[in-house]
Amino acid sequence: MSVLTKQMEQVRTAKGHMSRENFSQVATSKSKKIVVRLFYYLVLCSLSFVFLYPFITMVVTSLMSDSDLLNITVKWLPSGFRWSNFKIAMEQLSYWRYLKNSLIIAGAATIGHVISCSFIGYGFARYNFKFKGVCFALVILSMLVPVQTLIFPLYIQYSKMRWLDTYLPLIIPTFFGYGLNGAFFIFLFRQFFMGLPKEMEEAARIDGCGAFRTFFKIMLPMSKSSILVATVLSFVWHWNDYFEPNIYIRTAGKRVLPSRLPALYALMDTEDAMDLVMEEDGYTFNKAMLMAGTFLVILPVLIVYGFLQRKFMEGVERSGLTGM
Amino acid sequence: MKSEQKNSIKQNAGPKKKNFMTMQKRNSLEALMFLSPWIIGTCVFFLNAIFSSIRLSFSEIVQLRGFVMEWIGFKNYEHIFMYDINFMPTFISVVTDTLINTPLVLVFSLIIAMLINQPVPGKGFFRTCFFIPVLLGSGYVMAQLLEIDATGSVGVGIALPQVLQEMLGTTLVATIQPFLDRITLILWNSGVQIILFLAGLQGISSSLYEAAKCDGATQWEMFWKITLPMISPIILLNFVYTMVMYFTSSDNDLVSYILDQVFENTQFSRGAAMGWVYFLFVFVLCGVVFGVVKLGSKANEA
Repeated sequence: MSVLTKQMEQVRTAKGHMSRENFSQVATSKSKKIVVRLFYYLVLCSLSFVFLYPFITMVVTSLMSDSDLLNITVKWLPSGFRWSNFKIAMEQLSYWRYLKNSLIIAGAATIGHVISCSFIGYGFARYNFKFKGVCFALVILSMLVPVQTLIFPLYIQYSKMRWLDTYLPLIIPTFFGYGLNGAFFIFLFRQFFMGLPKEMEEAARIDGCGAFRTFFKIMLPMSKSSILVATVLSFVWHWNDYFEPNIYIRTAGKRVLPSRLPALYALMDTEDAMDLVMEEDGYTFNKAMLMAGTFLVILPVLIVYGFLQRKFMEGVERSGLTGM
Repeated sequence: MKSEQKNSIKQNAGPKKKNFMTMQKRNSLEALMFLSPWIIGTCVFFLNAIFSSIRLSFSEIVQLRGFVMEWIGFKNYEHIFMYDINFMPTFISVVTDTLINTPLVLVFSLIIAMLINQPVPGKGFFRTCFFIPVLLGSGYVMAQLLEIDATGSVGVGIALPQVLQEMLGTTLVATIQPFLDRITLILWNSGVQIILFLAGLQGISSSLYEAAKCDGATQWEMFWKITLPMISPIILLNFVYTMVMYFTSSDNDLVSYILDQVFENTQFSRGAAMGWVYFLFVFVLCGVVFGVVKLGSKANEA
């Protein structure tokens, strides 16, 4: 008992020691901190709302029924989840077939980028040789030249190589450090390897490890974070790009999934004009189905990112971009 | 590889200078190995296309079958500047748009990156939010989700509240709204830049800030004296990335005009010439930026 009261007294005196003016100062700084925090969250929330709003509307609208779409009071919560919208959208998109095409292209191109760009980036980061400056300037240059300037000569070249209407023009260049934003990834890996200490490699080399083995056994395992960043970005970019695929691939059945979207939106527009045409199949193609289709198109990207999200952010933090 | 190693071992016994030479030789051989995919790629997919595109821009296709070309000098370029009534206006509008948007993207993405760089609860959620635009793709899906129409106004972006709209009147709202639309689009276009800035901010060692704090620096001073100089390489990277993104995006008017010339009107050589005028401009602009940055860093050192 007595110990407890003693302790309480001690606490009281400690509080007493904090003089009045001191106390008020602490209070103001504390409330100031809270206000700053609140303001900070307010800004962040409102900014993220700009990004989230269209996304949320898409998801919500995709689940709406016909009557929900017409009802203005239904904005955030549909009266029931109508999953059949997704089924119809899948049919209209011929989802599985085009999903396969897209997965092949994006997957192969991502693998190509990660392998080739880490390899090339390592060469740029660790070796000094003649014309290194010129070579690196060429890398930067290839980043700057718009695809559109080169698309026509490349088109002719690929047609001579009989690559048109196959996925080769989209996949093979990525294995040589080119393709969609290839130079960007070379740059990324170069920065990363430049930031790593040289001691590990030197030790390996002294122990008689060759250049290739040093790279594959020691450097690559150390660069997991950069590989992850490159994987996510390359996959996402390849998935969303349909400019090049649409030019090189002429057969409709071989095209990528996102290139189906304009057709879907066109379907919606014609529906407005002739409302009754599709009615005989038992449904009219409405905005909900359109949104369901859009959601289905980006769903694989969302899944990939969802799995890698935490690691991706860690990778970004560790990519060592400031060590230039 | 093995015979090479043996060679170098043999030469170890020789005079020192020779040894140094072989090391260098071996080094550049290894460098060549690592760069070989890139060198092949550059020859096949880049330089080849660049040279044939340049040649195409100076010639005329006489026979479409087999692409028989005839050298006509600067005539294609002449046509672009003298006779084509669409090229220059589109070009100028695209360039002004890009020049206005790029600095704004940089400023906004830096601010957002600094905000989500704070170690606070919920930062993971916010980071994911700001990455959504990258996931959704920059082109078609974004345009549809934001309900962008042909005039470039955004359906679901930042808008003035209804009350404020009534108070300000339609004329004022109509002048403010395009500005807000632009900001919405800028925010949606700055996903990758935010990520890159975040990576840069994470790379700055916290001991710098601690030292500055001990010396009594304010947050404001720390931003200008530590953060900004440290991430200046990333600012450059982001600048180039943003500019190229705007100049090459498929919803860029000039790009679609060039593509129309090539694939719809089959004016291959004129399209190539336009592409080169466009690229030269982008290249000069980037060169100017690099030069300014280099001068700035030299001035800093001095």
